[in-house]
Amino acid sequence: MTAPRPPLHGRKLGDRRVVVDRPHSAYFRYAGPGTMIAKAAASAPTTAIGRRVARVRAIVFGKPLSNAEEIGERLSKKLALPIFSSDAISSSAYATDEILRVLVLAGLAWMTWSIWVAAAIALMLTIVAFSYRQVCRGYPSGGGAYVVARENLGPNFGLIAAAALMVDYVMTVAVSSASALANLATAFEVIAPYKVELGALVIILVTAANLRGVRESGNIFAIPTYLFVGMALLAIAVGLVNTATGAAHHLSPPAFAEQPGTQVFTLLLLLKAFAGGSVALTGVEAIANGVPAFKPPEAKNAANTLIIMALLLGSIFIGLTFVGLQYGVMATTAQGPTVLGQVGSAVFGGGVLFILLQISAALILFLACNTSFNAFPRLAAILAQDDCMPRQFAFRGDRLAFSWGIVVLAAVAIAMLYAFNASVDALIPLYSVGVFICFTLSQAGMVVHWRKERSSGWAWRSLVNGFGAVLTGVVFLVVASEKFFNGAWMVLIFIPALIAMMMFIRHQYAASARQLEMKPGAAVPQPHRHNRVVIPISGVNRAVIQALNVARSITTDIRAVYVSEDPKKSDDVRERWAGAVPDVPLVVVESPYRAVIAPLVAYLDVLDRSWPAEREEPITFVLIPEYVARSWWERMLYNQAAKQMRTTLLGRPHTVVINVPYRRDEARAAAVAAQVEPAGTLVAADNGRGH
Amino acid sequence: MPEASAPLFRRAVIALSGGTVDDAVVRLALEFARHAHSELVAVHVVELDWTQPLDADVAERSEEAQRVLDAAEAIAETLHGKLESVLVQARDVGAAIVDEAAAREADLLILGLPYRTRFGGEFAIGRAVPYALKNAPCAVWVVREKMGEESQ
Repeated sequence: MTAPRPPLHGRKLGDRRVVVDRPHSAYFRYAGPGTMIAKAAASAPTTAIGRRVARVRAIVFGKPLSNAEEIGERLSKKLALPIFSSDAISSSAYATDEILRVLVLAGLAWMTWSIWVAAAIALMLTIVAFSYRQVCRGYPSGGGAYVVARENLGPNFGLIAAAALMVDYVMTVAVSSASALANLATAFEVIAPYKVELGALVIILVTAANLRGVRESGNIFAIPTYLFVGMALLAIAVGLVNTATGAAHHLSPPAFAEQPGTQVFTLLLLLKAFAGGSVALTGVEAIANGVPAFKPPEAKNAANTLIIMALLLGSIFIGLTFVGLQYGVMATTAQGPTVLGQVGSAVFGGGVLFILLQISAALILFLACNTSFNAFPRLAAILAQDDCMPRQFAFRGDRLAFSWGIVVLAAVAIAMLYAFNASVDALIPLYSVGVFICFTLSQAGMVVHWRKERSSGWAWRSLVNGFGAVLTGVVFLVVASEKFFNGAWMVLIFIPALIAMMMFIRHQYAASARQLEMKPGAAVPQPHRHNRVVIPISGVNRAVIQALNVARSITTDIRAVYVSEDPKKSDDVRERWAGAVPDVPLVVVESPYRAVIAPLVAYLDVLDRSWPAEREEPITFVLIPEYVARSWWERMLYNQAAKQMRTTLLGRPHTVVINVPYRRDEARAAAVAAQVEPAGTLVAADNGRGH
Repeated sequence: MPEASAPLFRRAVIALSGGTVDDAVVRLALEFARHAHSELVAVHVVELDWTQPLDADVAERSEEAQRVLDAAEAIAETLHGKLESVLVQARDVGAAIVDEAAAREADLLILGLPYRTRFGGEFAIGRAVPYALKNAPCAVWVVREKMGEESQ
C-alpha cells in the first residue's frame, strides 16, 4: 500500500471504509490479467523542455492520437479520392499536350489522331485500373504492385516494383513543386531567383500538413482537387454543347505554338505519342498501396474509389482531347498556353470561370505531390515490415502517420530540387519512368495470380492482364529510350541502387534474426556462469558507493579500479577506500601516459586471461557510477569519461555495462552514503519519472 | 415541480460490482451526465471479512479490483465523458456505497443488478441493493440486467 489511510466512518455506528489509492491509474489501465495499457500521461514528457516541445508539436502537428483513434482517421471515399487521386487526375491537365507535341512533328493533318491515341491510353487506363481494383480486393493489406510482384513473381521482382515506385514518388514531389513554381514564376518574375528555396518551403508545408495525419491533410487538400474536377468537367460539357450546336470554331494559333514538322508519320511516332500521353496513368497505383487507410470495408471502398478515379481521369482526358480537337488547339512550347488553358479560354471566353479553371489547374498540379506523401510512406512501411527498409519506417508518429516515410520523402525531394536547381526541364525526364516498370510487374503478377487461383473467368482475366503487361512494358521501353539521354539513365541507376540497398537491409535483418533466434519450445536453463563486478571509480564518493550497493546485489566478486596519473592522489584514494569499504578490494592502475579508458580495458583483458582456461568464461559487469546533472549545461561538465567508457566497452565480449545514476537531489542520499539503500530502488529511480 | 431544464442529477455515484451489468450502467450514467454536465463517481467496493484488518493491503494489489474501475474509465474515455473512480475496502458493500454517496453529497446512486436466481429458481436480489434502497439519502436507480435465456 502506498500510504496508510485512516478509516472513514459511515453513517451508522460501526460502518467503516478505507479509500484505497490507485497509483497506476494516472499512467496505466489494466486491460486483462498481467496486461496494462499506457495512457497518454505515461508517454508525456517529464522535463520542462520536453513539455514545451510537446506543446509546440501539438500546435504544429496536432495532439497525439492513440491507436484506438486510428479507425477515426480512416478515410471515407469522398476524402480518399482527392488524397490518392490528385496525382492521377492532375496528369489529365497536361497529358493531351504531350500527345500533340509528338503528333505535330508529322504535320497538322495528323493532329486528329490525338483522339485515337487518347482512346488507346484510356483503354490502357481501363485495364490498369481494373487490374488494380483486383489488387485492392486480393491484397487488402496494401502495397499494390510491390505485394503483387512479391507474391506472384518472387521477392526480388517485388523489390524492383517497390524501388521503381519509390523513385517515381520522389520525382512526383520534386516535379510538381518545381512546375507549380515555374508557373508562378511566369506570372510573378520576382520569385524566379528563389524557386529552389520556395520549392523547399512548399514541400515543408505539405510535409507538415501530412504529419498532422491523413484525415486532416485530406481535409486541407480536398477542395482544390474537387474544384479542378468540377471546372474541367464543366469546360468539357460546355465544349460538347458548343460542338453539338455548331458553335465550336477553330481558334487562331496561340502564342508559342509548336511549329508543324515534316516527319513521316510512322508507327514509332505513334508509339511515342502514346508513350507521351501515358503520363496520364501516373498515380493510378496509389490507391492500391493505401487500402488500409480506407474505412471498412477497406478493400471494397478502395476498389470503388479507384474506379471513380479512373472514370474521372478518363473522362477529363478524353473530353479535353476531343473538345480541344473541335477547337483546333495546338501544342505549345513551355511558355505557351496549355491545351486545358486553350480549351478553357475557348469555352468560357476568358471570364471568371476561365480564371477559376486555371487557378484550380495550378493548385492540383501543385498538390499532385500530396498523393506521393500518402503512398510513399505506406509503401516504405510495408517494406519495413518485410525487413527491406529500416524498421523505423513502419512506426507511426503522434498523429498515426508514417512520419519517417513522410520526412524522408520530403528530404530527398528537396535534395532533388537543389540538385536540379528546381528546373522542370531537367527533372521531367526522370519522371514517370519507374511507374511503368511497376505497372508491367503488377500486370504480369496478376497473370500468375489468375493462373494460380483458377477462379471463374481466370483465362480472360489473365489474357487482359497479359495484354496490359505487354502494353505497359512497351510504354516503359519507349519512355525510357526516349528520355534516356535526357536524364532517365539516372533513374535506371537509382532503381538498382535502391534494390541493392533493400537487399542488403533484408540480409542484415535476416542475419541478426538468425543470431537472436531461440529454439521453439526450448526451456531456458538457470544461468550458471560466474559473475564478477568491476567498478571504475574516480574517487570515493556517494555515486561510487551507490554503484557498490548495486554491485553487492549482483555478486560478491567485486573489485573497484582506480586509474590514476598521480601517485599521491592514488595513495589518498586507497586510504579513504580502505576506511570506507574495507571488504571490497581496490585496484589502483597507475597511468603514466595519462590515458584512462585504455588501461581499464587492458585491466579487464588481463582479468579475462587470468581466468582458468578449463572454466567457462565469467560475465564481467562493469558498473559505471554516473552523476546525473540537472540541466543541459551541467551535463557538459560531467560524465564525459563515463560516456566514452560505455561506448568503448559496449562491444566487448562477455561484458555487461551498467550505468548507475546518482541524483544530487535524492532525498535518501544520506541513506545511500550510509550504505543502507536497497539496490532495487536505484533501478526504479532510473525510470525518469521519479515517483 | 422541477423546471424542465433542471438536470436529473448534479453528482451521481455509480456502484460497480465487476459483473456484466457494469458496462450498461456506466454507459447509461454517462449518457444522462453528458446532457446535464453532471459529475460521475464510480465506486467499487472490495469486501473484507473480519479475518483481515480493514486497511489490509488487498484492493490496491488486486488487479481484478483495479480492472473494474479501469474498464469504467475506458468506457468514459471512449464516450468522451468524465468519471472519477474510487476504490474502497469495507466490511459491507451496501453500507460502503451508501456512505460514499452520502459523503460526496451525491443526489443519485446508480446500482447494477445482475439477474441471478437461487437454487429454487427464485430471483436473488442480494444484500447491497435492498440496503441502498432502504438507507441511501439520495435517489437510487437500479439497473437490472435482462433475464438470461434459461430464466425466461
